[in-house]
Amino acid sequence: MKVVIVGGGRTGTQLARLLLQQNYDVHLVEERRDVLARIHRELPTEIIHEGNPVDLAVLEQAGIQSADVVTACTSIDEVNLVVCYVARTRYKVRRTIARVNDPRDAWLFKDLFCVDVAVNQAAIMSRLIEEEMSMGDMMTLLKLRRGNYSLVEEKIPEGASGIGLAIKDLSIEGVVIAAIIRHGEVIVPRGVTTFEAGDEVLAVTDPEGAQKLAELFKRPSQVKANP
Amino acid sequence: MKVIVVGCGRFGVELAYHLSKRGDEVVVLDASSDAFSNLPQDFDGRLVEGDAMNQDVLLRADIEEADALAAVTNSDVLNLVVGRIAREVYNVPNVVARNYEVFTRELYELFDLQVVSAATWGTQRMIELLNHTEARLVYSAGNGEVTFYEVAVPANWEGKTLTEILNCSGCQLTAVTRGGKAFIASDDLVLECGDVLSICATNRGAEILRERLADARGEA
Repeated sequence: MKVVIVGGGRTGTQLARLLLQQNYDVHLVEERRDVLARIHRELPTEIIHEGNPVDLAVLEQAGIQSADVVTACTSIDEVNLVVCYVARTRYKVRRTIARVNDPRDAWLFKDLFCVDVAVNQAAIMSRLIEEEMSMGDMMTLLKLRRGNYSLVEEKIPEGASGIGLAIKDLSIEGVVIAAIIRHGEVIVPRGVTTFEAGDEVLAVTDPEGAQKLAELFKRPSQVKANP
Repeated sequence: MKVIVVGCGRFGVELAYHLSKRGDEVVVLDASSDAFSNLPQDFDGRLVEGDAMNQDVLLRADIEEADALAAVTNSDVLNLVVGRIAREVYNVPNVVARNYEVFTRELYELFDLQVVSAATWGTQRMIELLNHTEARLVYSAGNGEVTFYEVAVPANWEGKTLTEILNCSGCQLTAVTRGGKAFIASDDLVLECGDVLSICATNRGAEILRERLADARGEA
């Protein structure tokens, strides 16, 4: 698979390195002299193409015509938008991915500029931090790749309001109890299974569900973290 | 007409000022309020400071009510993006962008935006003036891809048609002034000495036209 990465900053370089390890056909476009000096030391010279990322001649030299994926990860949002638009409308690239630098520009990273996937670093980071702050003792084990779901784990403390509740009576939308670890043993949960103090509960949930679950399993004295 | 001018550099200042003098309702938008100091004292348009890709800023500039928008910053990518937002998101009826770096010219076609390329047009015009002798340039369309000339018919073209003389597809006869009266004409018109021809031509066509005129003068 051929990938053209536009922008050789830290994100672009790291991505190139990762994809090279997985034997992708990687090409990287960068214009800034100082950045070029650095990436020539870090990446194979033959994959680096020097020039302005919105110069069609430069993009063509990087082989955009036959690219399967184009990733625009420069630090300038308008450059990323134009690169995606050009990749699709002129070169029929099947998949375009763009980095959002300023979260206020996120509304543009859509069909309007032929962006298939927008990676909004600021939004991802702040959501993660916010979730971690509001979830008390709940731990996020895994973010599922698609959609908004995560696998979370929480240990039920003494006195939590959810103790004694049967799973079938747990009417929280967007939550599936995946497993309960009780006295070191994994219990496959059934509808009639009730929560006990000391249980470690594994659940697949969206953020709203996680919030409600955290409410159910919080320590009685614990001040509500997210009013 | 309500017009938004995005970019308050040399180009934007001129444009905004002349529009407002004409009586248009002008909003000038720039990322930096310092840029506004370049506007003449008597400019009476509205100033909006902010990022032109930001929805709130565009709404503050009343983009929903605008009849026209000119994206004239010195960043081609920004002009392209703002131009497309204006047309596709806010349905601004008339959007024109300025092309700054010549190598990005093609992108404006890809974005299907009306474009004014000062460098390309200026170069074309400059070459014309430097070469100007036999054919007088009266108008250039687009960014100088097609130009209109006035040519006085030399004596040795008498009795021939323009097609015979030029033998090229890049030139087209549009009108002829004969005896002080102009009429619409086609390429098969038999020329008379003293006719003034209005010809539209591509760059290649104009080159051939000039060569033939020089030949005609040489023979005479």
